[in-house]
Amino acid sequence: MLSTLDIMKNEVREQRRQRGLSQIDLASGLGVSRQTIIAIESGKYSPSLPLAFRIARFFKQPVESMFDPEEEEIGG
Amino acid sequence: MKRPKGSRVYAPLGTLLVGSMIAGAVAIGHTWGDALIAEIVTVIVSLVYFFVTGRDSDVGAIYGQRSDERQQQVRASASRLGFIAAVSAAYVCAAISVASNESYWQPDVIVAVGGMGFLIGIAKYGAHDERATSVYRGVMSSGAEPDGERATDDVATPHDVEQENSQSDG
Repeated sequence: MLSTLDIMKNEVREQRRQRGLSQIDLASGLGVSRQTIIAIESGKYSPSLPLAFRIARFFKQPVESMFDPEEEEIGG
Repeated sequence: MKRPKGSRVYAPLGTLLVGSMIAGAVAIGHTWGDALIAEIVTVIVSLVYFFVTGRDSDVGAIYGQRSDERQQQVRASASRLGFIAAVSAAYVCAAISVASNESYWQPDVIVAVGGMGFLIGIAKYGAHDERATSVYRGVMSSGAEPDGERATDDVATPHDVEQENSQSDG
């Protein structure tokens, strides 16, 4: 089995900052915890498909522009 | 993320209930003084739980019954780790009990119940073939198939290919 990190790069932090939102604002807008926003922005957690769509809709962006699906390999 | 009303008190109340039951057992089997100590410890632990459930953190959200999807994953991973630790400890306790020629049914029960819970969890939460009947699904499946119909979709066996070839030849 190919060893990969199931973590995708994302534009959440950039989009949030462009709109002048705090992590708490975004968390309450999406119905998740502030810690989850921190984890997504820092690339430690990939959101589920429903949450990814909620994030994209929140920022009025297509999902594929919010998340980079290229997997990062960690060894072989 | 809706937070159920009163959810913050579930964990502390559960701890208080279970701890009080243990304190009651201590009162029956030991002394009232020991039971009082057990109850005091229970109340302290319950208060700590209540304090923790109010915190803006992963552990607070998990104990406060308001976890989101990532925190549910954290809880599942933590539960897995806790399960492995508990069963490993039970194995060690069983080995020590057997070696010292003492009764070992208590750790045996923990391992057996934990193992059964694990299998039930796989059966309950695992994905199953939609066409399979209840007889053929889950971990208890013997690999047998319903009459005249394969449980899996469109997978031709060598026998099927041979039959088709013989029909076309004839």
